[in-house]
Amino acid sequence: MIDGTVVDLSRIQFASTVLYHFLFVPLTLGLSFLLAAMETVYVTTGKPIYKEMAQFWGKLFMINFALGVATGLTMEFQFGTNWSFYSSFVGDIFGAPLAIEGLMAFFMESTFVGLMIFGWERLSKGQHLAVTWLVALASNLSALWILVANSFMQDPKGAVFDPTTLRMQLSSFQQLIFSPDAQSKFVHTSIAGYVTAAVFVAGISAFYMLKKRHMELAKRSFRMAALYGVMATIGVITLGDALGFVAAQAQPTKLAAMEGLWKSEPAPMSFNLIAFPDQAKQENAGAVRIPYLLSLLVTHSIDGTVAGVNTLEQEATRKIENGIPAVQALRTLSKDPKDAAALAQFNAHEKDLGYGFLVQRYAPDLNNVTPAQVQQAARDTIPPVAWVFWSFRAMVGFGLLMLAFFVLAVLYTLRNKVQDKRWFLIAAVWMIPVPFLANECGWLVAELGRQPWTVFGVLPTWMSASTHSVGYMVFSLIGFVGLYSIFIAVEMVLMVRAIRQGPEAHHGGGDARPRPRPALAPRPVPAAAHDTNLEG
Amino acid sequence: MKTFLYFLLFMFLAVVVILLAVLLGDQGAWYFAWLVGTAMIVLISAASAALLDTQEEHAAGQVAGGARKPL
Repeated sequence: MIDGTVVDLSRIQFASTVLYHFLFVPLTLGLSFLLAAMETVYVTTGKPIYKEMAQFWGKLFMINFALGVATGLTMEFQFGTNWSFYSSFVGDIFGAPLAIEGLMAFFMESTFVGLMIFGWERLSKGQHLAVTWLVALASNLSALWILVANSFMQDPKGAVFDPTTLRMQLSSFQQLIFSPDAQSKFVHTSIAGYVTAAVFVAGISAFYMLKKRHMELAKRSFRMAALYGVMATIGVITLGDALGFVAAQAQPTKLAAMEGLWKSEPAPMSFNLIAFPDQAKQENAGAVRIPYLLSLLVTHSIDGTVAGVNTLEQEATRKIENGIPAVQALRTLSKDPKDAAALAQFNAHEKDLGYGFLVQRYAPDLNNVTPAQVQQAARDTIPPVAWVFWSFRAMVGFGLLMLAFFVLAVLYTLRNKVQDKRWFLIAAVWMIPVPFLANECGWLVAELGRQPWTVFGVLPTWMSASTHSVGYMVFSLIGFVGLYSIFIAVEMVLMVRAIRQGPEAHHGGGDARPRPRPALAPRPVPAAAHDTNLEG
Repeated sequence: MKTFLYFLLFMFLAVVVILLAVLLGDQGAWYFAWLVGTAMIVLISAASAALLDTQEEHAAGQVAGGARKPL
């Protein structure tokens, strides 16, 4: 059995890697389409200010993109190094979208990013615009495939378990990519990226307006970001609701944790606005509840109900008891794949195989499982409620804050008065970290809410890790955290430097007017050149 | 000839979009919504910039004419 500390360290290492990586990704997803919008205006109006905008924000995009790729690379390798049993168990399904994601990110996206950055003087306006749109599309398509892979972990669709190879195999690629979780997660995550980019651009533009620098660029960037942001925020909230609705069907334990719902209630159910969940006692302290709201939110009906933790644990107990014969049959089949009785037993109990694995943590000898061990495993099926509950509320709170910000931003900018609202410009600068925090909270809800599974209902996390030593895990964890902290510091330094420089150092200064070229002093012509010319 | 080639190109694109809409609308309604929604968000954001140019030109014209009105 794998050491529990190694499993925890593997989880912390992967979580820290992804949390770092996910600081960069949403900005790439959203800024790429905002660049496309700016360049579209440049190509259609021919005004050079929009070219300056696309080039300036493109430079910030590049800094972010480079560090996003660097942090993403190690994440993919960790599947093999730290999660080898997981990779072996579901590699046939998980590998395909992961490979396509790699192709999208490192071939399509990187190629077009190169053309976008270095092609300004080499491509026609139309060609360059097409390249920028393709960068945006490729960035988001690359995210699509990694989210399809992630969605398989949340709601395993399109796969079957083969008891002879002891691995899961892909049965339907169509089901994999069109699963409700994959679809709703992709649209929610992608559009959260648009919100991130909009807040980022609005915040930096507000900074310029406060400093009275690059006013033409800042006003136009702010206007575009405000409209882009308000629509994206409305979208991300709507799609978040859709994702919650899907989660209610596929992962009821995650939903119960998100809502701090320890006991099933009759309809209409009340919503816990604030509560302090106690996992050991399975109750909330200091709960502030809003009547009727939970039924409306999660079932879109006043008569709807969802299961609480007590009901879900009872269901898990039944599934564990049903899953134990499946694991016993699997052990027999691993020695003799042709054992017909074992195969029949496996087929009868296959549905709950994962729950059988779950109890193995407490009962290695499945012939003598006690009710207490089953109960302990059933309790494990509930994710860490306080973390999920508060991460979810923080994400929603940040989302509503951004909606309020963008509604005001649109009102001010459409009146062309935003540059006069000093308090609002200061608030816009302070808003910059908010979407990044919201994204991280969203990721915590998705992944902590999936626990104790790596593949929901199929493969427990405790079985999925590699058999490393604690020392190796601590050493590599410190290495990763140190390296990524350096990356973050580098990103911050480069971003701040580029923002302080502004477009002035590179282009027209963001003032939309042609700048006078400095008069060139006549260069002395070497005597030899005179001679050559004369001779020629 | 050039117009005819453009006509063929746009017809081809229209057929691709229709096929995409039919297939995605049936199998992946959220993906289709993302495509349509993203295009809408980008285009409205782009149009808002063009509107700002018009507002500024209008305001500059009114200042030059001596009668400035709030936008």
